[in-house]
Amino acid sequence: MTMTTAAVTVDGLTKTFETGAAVEDLSFEVREKEFVTVVGPSGCGKSTTLRMISGLVPPTRGRVYIRGKEVSGPIGDVGMVFQSPVLLPWRSTIGNVLFMAEMRGENSGEYRQRALDLIKLASLEGFEKRYPHELSGGMQQRVAICRALLLNPSLLLMDEPFGALDIMTREKMGFELQKIWSANKTTVLFVTHSITEAVLLSDTIIVMTARPGKAKAVIGVDLPRPRDVKTLRDQRFVELAAAVRDNIEAQWVE
Amino acid sequence: MEQARRLAVTLSGFAAILLAWQYGARFVHLPAYILPVPTVIAVRFWQTFAIQAHHLGVTATTTTVGLAMSLVVGILLALSVIYIRPLKAIVLPVLAAFNSIPKIAIAPLFVIWFGLGSEPKVLLAFLLGLFPIFVNSVTGLGEIEPDVLDLARLAGGNAWRMFTKVRLMHAVPYITDALKVAFPLALVGSIVGEFIGGNDGVGYLILSGQFNMDTPLVFACLVSITLFTGLAIGVVALLERIFLKWRPSRRKR
Repeated sequence: MTMTTAAVTVDGLTKTFETGAAVEDLSFEVREKEFVTVVGPSGCGKSTTLRMISGLVPPTRGRVYIRGKEVSGPIGDVGMVFQSPVLLPWRSTIGNVLFMAEMRGENSGEYRQRALDLIKLASLEGFEKRYPHELSGGMQQRVAICRALLLNPSLLLMDEPFGALDIMTREKMGFELQKIWSANKTTVLFVTHSITEAVLLSDTIIVMTARPGKAKAVIGVDLPRPRDVKTLRDQRFVELAAAVRDNIEAQWVE
Repeated sequence: MEQARRLAVTLSGFAAILLAWQYGARFVHLPAYILPVPTVIAVRFWQTFAIQAHHLGVTATTTTVGLAMSLVVGILLALSVIYIRPLKAIVLPVLAAFNSIPKIAIAPLFVIWFGLGSEPKVLLAFLLGLFPIFVNSVTGLGEIEPDVLDLARLAGGNAWRMFTKVRLMHAVPYITDALKVAFPLALVGSIVGEFIGGNDGVGYLILSGQFNMDTPLVFACLVSITLFTGLAIGVVALLERIFLKWRPSRRKR
């Protein structure tokens, strides 16, 4: 264990529903500014884990610490991106990005410049005044990412954010996210079931077991950044993807 | 261009119906006290214009006041059900049970209670408009996507900000839709109220037309009512244009 306080510490986290345990005795750590991806079969409690970390759902047992402080309810220092963009249809792009500031009761005018910067970074320049129905699925999800980053959260939680997009858009979004992340270095906890996405984006990959979810393996990704299309053909990339796959497929045999 | 073409088609359709009516009725020798032709109705409408305007004004007022009451009470009831959970188990079944009573059937009761003034008419208009507005307000104000609520909680949003910035905005299209349903219902309430008692309003004028076998007058009243309904729908459409700019246009959908 390092002496410095981790950005996120998950300690013996367990969530039991009426239908049984979704997550059982899950423990891991995320370092400051680290991009960590959680992969695992569907239904292994990945989303539940994120919701417990954000404080939206209380754990049955176990604890979550963010920068050494125990989480006991929704905390403002977390940005969240869901699988669907959940934009407010009556708000334009800029209005949706500013939503978090307004909900916090801040003067949204002060955040306007930051919102515009984020929109530009997410390649949405020129679409500031457009309504969600005028944007493509990928664009909507980029608006959601801008919204999550507006208040400069120390932790960004992403729950299969590209899961609803087609494969081409999805790949492009991965590179876009990398660009946004390197400009706003924040700690990211990213849930996906795409191995390619996990290896491409992460510093560390946590492979979870099938329900009830536990941490099965932790794989460090030592690929240099920035990563681009060429990275996908890198020998090391292929090896890492295979390692992740082995850990997931090993469960089929068990 | 496309719009103008469509309007032209609609108008020529109306003109065709009126022409068929005008000459068809004459052709089969229908007397004016059974089915007056459009020109006779137009003349009668013109002759009685001042009376029409007076009585329509009365009906419009009771309808508007009743509808405004259903809007306020419907939204307040919806809010009470949304914010005070246990109330839902009481308010919903009571209102549903009450809604199953044909309000028209209890109209005479209102005359006994409130007399022949405008009160029973306003009350009927209010009661008829209430249910659709309440039901749509419950959906519009209450059924917010859970993820949106979670986002607001993460940002530290309180109930007031949640109400003004999410619930209210989400409810606007539901409420304008409800108005389109509630308006004709409230109008029915006013007119039935006028049938039952009093000597004011379009309902009263229709009845007096009936007593005198003045069929053209009855039809002229229907023209008045139609004009009023058209105006009201126009107002709702205008509200939608102002508040629902963000809605995808119907053609795109």
